[in-house]
Amino acid sequence: MKSFVTLLKNELKLNIRNMNMVIFAVIMPLVVLVILGFIYGTKPAADGTAYSFLEQSFGALCCISICAGGLMGLPLVVSEYRERKILKRFQVTPVSPAKLLTVEFAIYVIYCVVSMLTLFLVAMLFWKIKIHGSLLLFLGSWLLTMVSTLSIGLLVGGIAKNMKSASVIACILYFPMLIFSGTTLPFEVMPVAMQKIISIFPMTQGIQLMKATFLGLPTENVLLPVVVMGAVILICFGISVKCFKWE
Amino acid sequence: MQTAIKVEQLSKSYGNLLAVDKISLSVKCGTVYGLLGANGAGKSTTIECILGTKRADSGTVSVLGFNPQKDRRRLFQNVGVQFQENDYQPEIKVSELCDETACLYEAPADWRKLCEQFGIGGKVDNAVKNLSGGERQRLFIVLALIPNPELVFLDELTTGLDAKARRDVWKILSELKDNGLTIFLTSHFMDEVEALCDEICILKKGKAVFYGTVEQAKKASGCEKFEDAYLALSGEVVEE
Repeated sequence: MKSFVTLLKNELKLNIRNMNMVIFAVIMPLVVLVILGFIYGTKPAADGTAYSFLEQSFGALCCISICAGGLMGLPLVVSEYRERKILKRFQVTPVSPAKLLTVEFAIYVIYCVVSMLTLFLVAMLFWKIKIHGSLLLFLGSWLLTMVSTLSIGLLVGGIAKNMKSASVIACILYFPMLIFSGTTLPFEVMPVAMQKIISIFPMTQGIQLMKATFLGLPTENVLLPVVVMGAVILICFGISVKCFKWE
Repeated sequence: MQTAIKVEQLSKSYGNLLAVDKISLSVKCGTVYGLLGANGAGKSTTIECILGTKRADSGTVSVLGFNPQKDRRRLFQNVGVQFQENDYQPEIKVSELCDETACLYEAPADWRKLCEQFGIGGKVDNAVKNLSGGERQRLFIVLALIPNPELVFLDELTTGLDAKARRDVWKILSELKDNGLTIFLTSHFMDEVEALCDEICILKKGKAVFYGTVEQAKKASGCEKFEDAYLALSGEVVEE
């Protein structure tokens, strides 16, 4: 446990010093929020809805940091450590692969938490958003979305041959999810055929779930997203620990 | 006397290239063992097979009584390693690298004291990338000693060090040996091998061509100077 805390502290410091994630996972979502805030203010999402546009978008905004951490940050840092033979140095110490992966995983969880909290505070202070649904259910769906996306990132970092292929895979996952999962374009405006295809992204499921729980909308099919994301988490974690390569 | 490392009939090839060919060796506890040979003779591959970071094609390895691949986590509580090529996180500081290494062990040594001993005590707040080559080399020896090991592997330990720093490192290693540390090293400096090693093994194209002490090497080759003996035994032809 002591070694976990020390590793986490050191690796977090290094990660912040690098600034990439501070910009992409914390500052960028805030910038998007502020832009949306200036455009829409406290206007309702549509005529007659009880909730504002910002409230409707809040779940999607939280996903920007989840995407950045899970699909860019995490796979790249793990594959970089392997390529630079930093993992090889760890191989000749008593540390377990699971512990190393958990440390890196935890760093991106911290970024997602910080991003979600800052988004909520700013949106609450300036545009008075509030949760219409259930806080607990919203946090639950946020957590599920985050852990499932991060575990995909862990898998990519764990099995990619080198940094270059990790970065290619990360891009292939990152941009479609960022654009098509409903993070930037609203899910509702897409053609039905496309909606069906992108429903397999855990992020699409997550955003729908977050939106429903945040706004207090009826959730007809909770089981499907929970099962999809749960399966993704188990499979990705299992494979990345089992197939872990030191070099 | 107990055996720290026992290697029997170790072989490893990369594709068609036979890098290590049926090497057997045994290192007694509390001694310094030198693995010598030209570049590409198979030294690093041998070390990596002993450590378990590479899988041998055949042969058996036992380190402190453990199988390095099966008992990795227990073995490396008591073994320190300095690889020939070392890398580190891009922005990491000396203190962070030491701290991160020390936290992995049950009973680590005081890394600040080790840094002092190796003459980099004033550099702990610097970024590792800003150290000079020699300072970085000493830092990686420090990292190998942080576990408070019974056994330490040093691959080309003093490459990049100036004459004074080399002597300092020898002195510290000799003291550690007197306190019971077993050292397995590779080196291209024959004065260093002569000063430190109790026993040596010379590799040539993956095969062990000589086992014994420095004195025995001189006798076997009929050379007065150890460097000449090494060249004769390893079959390196020097144009006069």
